[in-house]
Amino acid sequence: MIQITGLTKAYRRGRPPALLDLTFDARPGMVTVLLGDEGAGKSTALRLMVELERGHGLTLFDGRTYRRIRRPEREIGVLLPTGRPEAGHPGQRARAHLRMLAGVVGVPARRADDLLEQTRLAAVADHRIGTFSPGMHRRLALAAALLGNPSTLLLDAPTEGLSPSNEEWFGAFLRSFALSGGTVLTTTRAPEEAAALADRVITLEAGRLAADQPVAEFRRTRPHPEVLVRGPQMARLADLLTAQGGQVRRDGGAGLAVSGIDRTEIGELAYRNGILLHELADRVVRRAVAYPSALPGGSGRFGQVSVRTVRRGAARQEETGGETGREGAEREPADRNAAGQPPAAPGTPRPATVGRPAGPEQERPFDHRGPQAGRWAAAALAPDLSVQTKAKAQAASVPAPASPAQTAPAPAPAPPPTVDLTRRAPRGASALGRPAAPPAEPTTAETRAAGARATGTRATETRPVEAVAEVRDGDRGVRADAAEAEHLSANPTDAELLTPARIRGVGRPPAPVRPMPGRPWSAGATGLRPAEPAGRSREPGAADPRGTAPNGGAADDENGSE
Amino acid sequence: MRLMASEVRRLRGVRSTWVVVAGAVAVNAAVAAFTASRLPTGELATADAVRAVAAVVPALPLPLTALAAAVLGALAYGNEARWPGLPASRVTLGRRLSALLAKSLVVGAAALLLTVVTLGVNALAVWLALPAAVDAPTLFDPSGLPGAPFAAGGIGRPLAAFPALVLAGGWAGLLITSLVRSAVVGILLTCALPALLEPTAGLLLHRTGRNWPLWMRELMPFQYGLDFVRSAADRTAGALDGVVAAALLAPAALLVLAAVLAQVRRRSL
Repeated sequence: MIQITGLTKAYRRGRPPALLDLTFDARPGMVTVLLGDEGAGKSTALRLMVELERGHGLTLFDGRTYRRIRRPEREIGVLLPTGRPEAGHPGQRARAHLRMLAGVVGVPARRADDLLEQTRLAAVADHRIGTFSPGMHRRLALAAALLGNPSTLLLDAPTEGLSPSNEEWFGAFLRSFALSGGTVLTTTRAPEEAAALADRVITLEAGRLAADQPVAEFRRTRPHPEVLVRGPQMARLADLLTAQGGQVRRDGGAGLAVSGIDRTEIGELAYRNGILLHELADRVVRRAVAYPSALPGGSGRFGQVSVRTVRRGAARQEETGGETGREGAEREPADRNAAGQPPAAPGTPRPATVGRPAGPEQERPFDHRGPQAGRWAAAALAPDLSVQTKAKAQAASVPAPASPAQTAPAPAPAPPPTVDLTRRAPRGASALGRPAAPPAEPTTAETRAAGARATGTRATETRPVEAVAEVRDGDRGVRADAAEAEHLSANPTDAELLTPARIRGVGRPPAPVRPMPGRPWSAGATGLRPAEPAGRSREPGAADPRGTAPNGGAADDENGSE
Repeated sequence: MRLMASEVRRLRGVRSTWVVVAGAVAVNAAVAAFTASRLPTGELATADAVRAVAAVVPALPLPLTALAAAVLGALAYGNEARWPGLPASRVTLGRRLSALLAKSLVVGAAALLLTVVTLGVNALAVWLALPAAVDAPTLFDPSGLPGAPFAAGGIGRPLAAFPALVLAGGWAGLLITSLVRSAVVGILLTCALPALLEPTAGLLLHRTGRNWPLWMRELMPFQYGLDFVRSAADRTAGALDGVVAAALLAPAALLVLAAVLAQVRRRSL
């Protein structure tokens, strides 16, 4: 678990900062990819993390900074390019080089030979490093990083300039490393690679965090299909295409990049108008972050990495309608504890900040079930039991100065009826009471499935609602909550809808197709996915707006990943 | 300890180490043999013997062996700075200092070893190359040595000072390179250092009323070079005459020449 908080690299006056307030988490068992252009601050971020450069902000590896770790090589493997292609002194032989580093790390020299085997370098181990190819250099550097048998990998552009087969090898290696429970944080410039490799994609733009997406959402929103057309009469074709409603831009000397119109359509159009084409090909280009995003407000550890979705958030709010109010009511006890009675809760982990909830709030963006959470929890519990338990929990939280983290377990012990719902119960509860640390196992699945829908939505809804909630009287919050619980028990639709068949999205008309439930590793397979799920999830929902749609996806993802 | 072990591995694994050592030994032997073959006939003076065995080349800033040790030290640091195997593991001060300590210990040991080897080879070369006219029974016969080798006129003190000089050369190369992070610059600065230090130290010693001991003078190449050139030219010359000026200007001329030669092979500045 790497917690990166507020990494900032600022230069003197006149130059923009290389990195500004970067905050995210890299979790074990996942591959986290920092995606960004040249100069976006990826390498700077990694170098700041291991404190090779001076900067601001903190990086905690399992709670300690890099300097504090007694033997960092044993816990963190770092692969940072040094500006030279060679992995070591070019006159040294690979085996001697690795054995030397094994001495530095403090592991037996046998480990060096093992790693040479693992990185497919055993055959050339007795040759000088100067004779190696870039891919071999990279593999040797990886072997050096792995010498101490670390549980965390920090890799800076590991596949930069490698052949496809090497790239694939790297990807497979990183995936297996993450699957065995390691934490991988790597950087890349290629969105396709990020989509194929990552569980979580963090996009940097000019040193700022532009997006923090699970890979499913990334795949859905970021790669952008285009058709590349080349030929001698492109100006005329461009006019025709524009008339057809496509977006056209120049691509090189005699080329057009068309989006919005199918390849076959373009071909037919050209044929009908007698335009000669030399090339007509699909391709995928990267699209900038699909929505205007604001900077994360303040240093994210006390708020969250919040990507503000303007368009989608607005749509979502229209769609869910009155849920906002309910959400506010639901949150109110928490806010009362945080802001309303600060001195009464001295030992609680959250500082008494006014205006925004602290600590546990950081889990929010990953918890995409925002508005639905209460309902799901209620549905997961036995219908009659849920009302009382929940009401009791909320009522208990008002007089007692306990933080919501402490009240959270209250609803959880109620035995959930089925296996499938068991998985949901702690999550619903966590969304309800917001414990500081949700159970680890659901988290990974959750994070993967999560922001697929509502990373941004959550953030946009949270702020204004809280502001309102603080102004209000606290008792009203409890009342509203109780009323909501009553409403839930009286209206069992969600509980009904939570049957396994529904969860899989069998009976639903607009079943959202998840692009890649269990991320197969292959760049080709993940290359181009039409953006239909995006369109669908944005539709103001049909008969069942909120219950099952994300649920199906979550269930699929869980099955795929575990 | 493991750092020292890995440093030894690094030193052994790199080709340049062996090239430097072999070159130093070969050149040393050649110089020693050349010096020995030109020794004046008659009884072998201790000073001449020391010069021959130590293979002191006039006008070089350091003895050849010390120069080789300086190169080893400079490369030990420069290579690590240029191709860091695990850059992130050197972040903390303690680890860097311990790495530097391990390097200096290993370089020191290597320098001492190199001294022993070169002295042995040089002695062999001198012994082989001595003209028949020169008789040196007292020097090369252990039993015939003057009672105390460390006495004023003996061969012991210079031979003890020589390893110290080599050691100092190796460490100077390492530490100066640690300041500039480039092996080439480090070597050049190490070469420049004695030419600055020797006259200054000599001047200071002179002011305090003492002088370099004679046996030190033999080994300190800059002074020795001056003496050598002056004795060849004109012993009665004044303090600052053409010879001294030439000795001082020669490095500058050499530098200009080297700069021009370096540009010959380049494609960019």
